[in-house]
Amino acid sequence: MFKETAQRLKAAGPLLAQTTLLKEVRISSTHGGSSVHGHRYFNVTCSLCAKVPPRKKPRVKVDIPGLERITYGDRMHYVPGLAKPSFPTWVRDWNDPSHYYAPKEEEMPLHKEKPCFIFNQRTNALEGVRQALWLTKSKLTKGLPDQVLSLAENEANQIENQDERVQNAIRHARFWDTTEERPSREKFCMALLRSLIHLCGSLQVSHSGLGRRILAEKYSLAATWNRGEDLFQVRGQNGLLLNSIAPLPVLAGKEEVQSTADHVLETFYPISPTIDLQSVQVYEEQNHTGFKEDYPYPHAHTLFLLEAGDTPVTLLPEQLRAKMIMFAFGNALARAHTLHGTKPRVLEQPIVVQSVATNGRMFQYVMFQLNTTDLQADEGVKNQVWVENDQLLYDFAKVHPLIKKRVVQIPPGLSGYKPETFQKFLSLYLHGAV
Amino acid sequence: MAARTRLPLQSLIHKNGNVFRSDRIVHTAIQEPVYPPIVPSLTAKSKSAKGRQIAEHLDKVRAADVQEKLTFLTRVQRKKYVLCPQTFALNADKWYQHFTKTAYLPGLPEKFIVDETKEESVPDTQNASSTIDETAFADIRSHVCHSILQENWYMKKRQPFLQREQEHYVAPYLRNLVSGLTHAMAKHNPVLQLSSLDFDPQVNFYWMRGQRTIPRGHRGGRVEPIRFQIDDKPHSQIRIPHQLPQFVPLEVVMSAEVPEIKFAPDLLPMFRRQYENNIFTGAKLPDPGCYGHTQFHLVPDRYRRDKMAKRNLNDQIEVYLRANGIASLFAWTGAQAMYQGFWSHEDVTRPFVSQAVITDGQYFSFFCYQLNTLGLSMETDAGNPRKNVCWGTDSMRLYEGVKDGAVVGLDDSVLKLLVQFLLNRSG
Repeated sequence: MFKETAQRLKAAGPLLAQTTLLKEVRISSTHGGSSVHGHRYFNVTCSLCAKVPPRKKPRVKVDIPGLERITYGDRMHYVPGLAKPSFPTWVRDWNDPSHYYAPKEEEMPLHKEKPCFIFNQRTNALEGVRQALWLTKSKLTKGLPDQVLSLAENEANQIENQDERVQNAIRHARFWDTTEERPSREKFCMALLRSLIHLCGSLQVSHSGLGRRILAEKYSLAATWNRGEDLFQVRGQNGLLLNSIAPLPVLAGKEEVQSTADHVLETFYPISPTIDLQSVQVYEEQNHTGFKEDYPYPHAHTLFLLEAGDTPVTLLPEQLRAKMIMFAFGNALARAHTLHGTKPRVLEQPIVVQSVATNGRMFQYVMFQLNTTDLQADEGVKNQVWVENDQLLYDFAKVHPLIKKRVVQIPPGLSGYKPETFQKFLSLYLHGAV
Repeated sequence: MAARTRLPLQSLIHKNGNVFRSDRIVHTAIQEPVYPPIVPSLTAKSKSAKGRQIAEHLDKVRAADVQEKLTFLTRVQRKKYVLCPQTFALNADKWYQHFTKTAYLPGLPEKFIVDETKEESVPDTQNASSTIDETAFADIRSHVCHSILQENWYMKKRQPFLQREQEHYVAPYLRNLVSGLTHAMAKHNPVLQLSSLDFDPQVNFYWMRGQRTIPRGHRGGRVEPIRFQIDDKPHSQIRIPHQLPQFVPLEVVMSAEVPEIKFAPDLLPMFRRQYENNIFTGAKLPDPGCYGHTQFHLVPDRYRRDKMAKRNLNDQIEVYLRANGIASLFAWTGAQAMYQGFWSHEDVTRPFVSQAVITDGQYFSFFCYQLNTLGLSMETDAGNPRKNVCWGTDSMRLYEGVKDGAVVGLDDSVLKLLVQFLLNRSG
């Protein structure tokens, strides 16, 4: 274990036993998911929750050639005026995992000269969707394609008493799921998403294709590509992934794909496209979907992302859409690399991945079609993205009414339900199985 | 004056010639009571006054609507025993049976056919509604295998943190299993189409059973009821808007007895705390899904078979599962009954039925519970012949292990039982 980590864990040890009290303190802090260090906790001594000072850089011993250092090493005791002897570092002859000293970054086996820019789940991209489009070499279309939207408008594809059941699901998630007055955002966000997926899944009675899917939680993605002169990667856990046996149907035909070659990508000079991405010199170029080769559900269908305020990073809608585009692209690219190899090429059969993100009230929908893995140059066939921005499922879900000057402004309970948002959710869910 | 005006009656009768007048009593109109009923005082410092206060309170509770009833019954906080369904206590199932007045019957009710033998043939006398056709069953089997393999084989995962293997490997697979089974069974059981599926819900129940004499203090010598609270967190549960049918009639006399424990609950050990008295089925009162169908419980790492064997507690494995099933299901059915307005002084008029599956990923145990009575408090328990019933199985192994990307030794009988559980519906 690193010495620093051991020190930190030791510091956090007694605190970990009092998690209930810490949670209460954490909730009242301004940002969610903060660490214990640097804050005052009155139930423990200050030394336990003080900030851990950064590791001091060891003093560099300069060896001047030709100058012999006279040390007190031979004398076996300190002599004022003589130099301190430097002995060779003692190395234990067996591997003790609790006394492990990590090598310097330059000496690590995976160290490379060229830095790699990694987009992970904590990345808060400054330029948002524009940056994501540039990084993935994509063309944006506002609004979902018609063939997808028409799926939920068809009577046969609707759930019985759809509006009432969705409203009950929202009320359950927002009001009824706890013994307290209202559940917290982390709780109701996940509960709402799971209830909506459960509602959509009840259509398996009439559409048996919906049974050929499975949800995967906590899967880790890895995808690498070259763009311009830089190397980029999408890595890490991101959200809930719905995998299916059959691939999603292609959204844009061959002519439309060819016509994207004329589109010019939007740059945002002077800001570099690598802004806010994690720059690392120790990395491995991996392309991994998160599952083994013989996985029976190889095609990533929909990625569900939650923005519930439980992470250190709170993403605004623009940045959340960027995250959706990047991870949908990462899934598609990893699949393409697994199928066709890492050599850049234009795909004959484009790969489509969908993504839905929510904060419990506002939904964002993204559909990504990967047409090409040749992302080095700015010219050529581009990938395509269809985005639906900021779809509110309901206006207000208030426990107590908002009354101003004895007039009820916002009534208690659920108000302002918008059925179109759920229809789009349902059409994205049914896409590929109808 | 009366003496002077008194005339001999006989002469009058003879005079009018009414010798043979019958003396029928003629009923006059019922007279309204002029004075109010005589009842004991309400505010005096006497036993009868206390009795009247209690009676008035009970009438007030009876007359209130459900939300107010729950508030009345849970408003006052006092020290209560916290009953943990997942407990480290040894032989807790007998104690929990006593606290919840439950008779335990090994095996399942007749409507569930437990396929003990390894025969492939299905007897024709089976009820059509309790089985599904072979293609649907094959789909379910493949889905279950894929769920197991996804978590244990296909997905790239890091090593789990110590003592967190269940959460790492089993909890996501169980979620997939439950949602997949519910959606697949919705075709055969229409009530599942209207169901709500909760993950990590909360179930709470508060009740009183038995009495004790307060040993010391300013209230010493007085008799007070013993209060209990269950705070349960199942892995997942299915709630439905219609009630499940009863397994046995309400007033049936069961062969099994409720064990009698003469010791105080402290000796189990059970500990007393004072905090909010919650009665909660998993959703608040306005939710339409107020009845329970099936709960799924995950055995924590500490109570896994290998860990119990290391602590020489092999015989306690089944005991733990039984205690968990009885306590969780009693809390759930009790909360469902209280949501319908029944409580200890207004006993249930129809039985409340729920099911539970307790698993550690590999071994599954099935439990069915029928709540016949809520009258467990010291006043109502005295002449109450009804008792609650719990049926349960021992743990059955679903699969032997995962080897080279395949599930080895999958037992179809356990899957069939799961399917039958989910097919249970009213009508």
